[in-house]
Amino acid sequence: MFWVRFDPTRPDVKFWVRLLGPRGIVWCEMVLDTGSSRTVLDERLLARAGYDLIAAPEVNVTTASGRVEAKVVKVWQISALGISADDFPVLAMPLSQPLGVDGLLGLDFLRRRNLFCNFEKGILLTLPFSRGFLHRLAISAQIFPAL
Amino acid sequence: MGEIRPEPIEQIRQRYKNEWLLIKVTSHDENGLPKEGILLGHFPDRKAAWEATEFVDGEVYVLFAGPTIPEGWEAVLHGWVSL
Repeated sequence: MFWVRFDPTRPDVKFWVRLLGPRGIVWCEMVLDTGSSRTVLDERLLARAGYDLIAAPEVNVTTASGRVEAKVVKVWQISALGISADDFPVLAMPLSQPLGVDGLLGLDFLRRRNLFCNFEKGILLTLPFSRGFLHRLAISAQIFPAL
Repeated sequence: MGEIRPEPIEQIRQRYKNEWLLIKVTSHDENGLPKEGILLGHFPDRKAAWEATEFVDGEVYVLFAGPTIPEGWEAVLHGWVSL
């Protein structure tokens, strides 16, 4: 189980994220975005981590205000909220200046574990998927203090 | 000239409100998250902070010491990919 606190008075939920690339380890902050099908990282961050954006394939991305193009970069490893994903494809896009984070943690990353969020207390848990009755009981016991 | 000593990252964050910070990470907490570091620069925008990382080797941490969404703004972030 991974347990983290966030500020429940803020309009966003943000976390530290560790990215491993050809140039080493880069830390940044990202927001939880369950409305995003894919995880997005700022293209400057990916370039600093040593990834080649020029050779990366492009995809179309539909946003609330229209269509944009983004590069798809398979990162060696991305870790956040107690979850690590290897060879994980992310979208490389320039994030707008007023946004004070370097990425969006999307559903493709979050769906790797159970996600429990208490928005009143500002507690977020990530837990493994249950593998049987006893395991389910153990997971329930872990959630209990966060209720 | 005195040696630059690492300090808690939260302490650095409090000192430079609403600026982008470039920190070289020197130690981690029990969860492996950055705990202490050396401030290498503070910048008015994201672009300048990431450009400065080009000259830094090792484990770097770039963060904005302010709100994710500025006062008076709202954010709609979601996107769906069509392959």
